[in-house]
Amino acid sequence: MMSSIPKWWQTIRIAWSKHTAYRLNFVLQILGPTLVFFFVKYNLWSAVYSTSPETVIKGYTFQEMIQYHVWALVVGLIAQGHMVVNLSEEIRMGRISAYLIYPFNFWEFHTADFLAFQTMQTLIALITIFLIGLSAFLDVPSFQLILTGMTYCLFVSLFWFTLQYMTGLMGFWLEETWMLRVTLRMIAGFLSGAILPLELYPEKLVTFLDYTPFPYLTYYPIKIFTGQFNQFGQAYLVMGLWCLVFIVINKIIWRKGIKMYTAAGM
Amino acid sequence: MQNIKNSVRHYLSVYSGFLSTCFTQATSFRLNFVLLVAMDLFFYFSSFATVSFIFDHVETIGPWQRPELMFFIAYMLTLDQLHMTLISESFWVFSRELKTGGLDYVILKPINTVFNVFFRHIRPSTIINAVVTWSALGYYGHQAGLLWSDWILIPPLMVLSFTLLILLEFIVASSMFWLTEGLGINFLRMQMQQLGRWPDYIYAQTPRRLLTFVLPIVLVGSPPVHFLLDRSRWPYLLLMMAAIVGAAIVLSYVWKKGLRQYESASS
Repeated sequence: MMSSIPKWWQTIRIAWSKHTAYRLNFVLQILGPTLVFFFVKYNLWSAVYSTSPETVIKGYTFQEMIQYHVWALVVGLIAQGHMVVNLSEEIRMGRISAYLIYPFNFWEFHTADFLAFQTMQTLIALITIFLIGLSAFLDVPSFQLILTGMTYCLFVSLFWFTLQYMTGLMGFWLEETWMLRVTLRMIAGFLSGAILPLELYPEKLVTFLDYTPFPYLTYYPIKIFTGQFNQFGQAYLVMGLWCLVFIVINKIIWRKGIKMYTAAGM
Repeated sequence: MQNIKNSVRHYLSVYSGFLSTCFTQATSFRLNFVLLVAMDLFFYFSSFATVSFIFDHVETIGPWQRPELMFFIAYMLTLDQLHMTLISESFWVFSRELKTGGLDYVILKPINTVFNVFFRHIRPSTIINAVVTWSALGYYGHQAGLLWSDWILIPPLMVLSFTLLILLEFIVASSMFWLTEGLGINFLRMQMQQLGRWPDYIYAQTPRRLLTFVLPIVLVGSPPVHFLLDRSRWPYLLLMMAAIVGAAIVLSYVWKKGLRQYESASS
């Protein structure tokens, strides 16, 4: 166990260099979409509330609605920022053959890459909280709430990684997997409360969503940051169970996929 | 005149060749075909549902009520479907070819380079989705009280919107000539599209001015829909046309500069 730490550390360092090699690309690809998404939502809700600024929509004043979306931005950065872009390409081009003989396997390599990415995203999220905290958009919560929220978001990011990893593994069967990744992101965005607070959704849909992992991806993390949710045990249990489910599914997919892998493209 | 006719005929025959190749490619990977259709359908559904859920709690957003805004969304999604089918794939291929030097073979061909780069890759699978977007446009147009004369105007207005959108995107994509890794530019381009998917009035004064006069993305959808709903807004259409002319001039300049900047990666 201890002997593998240097391998993990070196891989994480390489991943940092890789992610920051093209800085403009990193900003445009990772930060840009989240910031534009927030900009659009801010303007949209400003227009919604403009006719009567004192309106309360399903318990949200204008200020509270904007705060919800600021936290959605932070949660999006930490919990759902990671994209396993190269995984399917490595399978399709036959490049995973190398991992089959390396003393650091395919799963470990991508997990190390994920950990490297998460440290960067966490730092960016902290800077975002600090910068937005300086403006009038956000009442910065206590240090304890920030810590609790960030810890839970990092746990959610593990689940997100297992999902992303699964879409990448579909490269054993599919020519392209980006549409799976995009569809997953859209479904998660829509059903997790990243676009609208779930209170605005029809009641039956919200009841149904409670049986899925979606609200635990964005809606509940936001509520943790705002101090309106304290059933942490339940949240960790739900995410943990779903994480386990997808780890098992990934193992099955890997076993089936590797049997039919022909190392084509090498 | 004869020269123009020959040129149009030539480009149409090249384009039919592009179409034929893309159809053959697309039908070779059937699951990809289905996934692309499903992805777009979910995107349309979530876009309509988002606006609809908001209107379950408010009467108006800015000056528009539910039918007008839903019609606007339908208009933009119809445009998006056209864009997804005819153009979007080419941007991703362009960033790849710039990096690998594959662009060498594209610019050597005796055909306009903008046409060859951006019209080469078509996604036939998303053609099916036109049924959904045009049906939604019809439904919400009816709800918004469009007259028969409005329906006649929609196709030419859609052409104008499509022209402005792709010109702006070509300009943004041209910046890839100056970058080692152009993939991020595609994400920037997609964010620009997202800004244009909402009507102009949701933006505060300063961003609206920027998105009208500097990067005129709100002119893609807002002028045609405002005009369809209220004929007195015709000067807004003139502004859109001016933006098209301006964007075409900027593109021609930037593209030439970009081609001069291009150093084949493979050489």
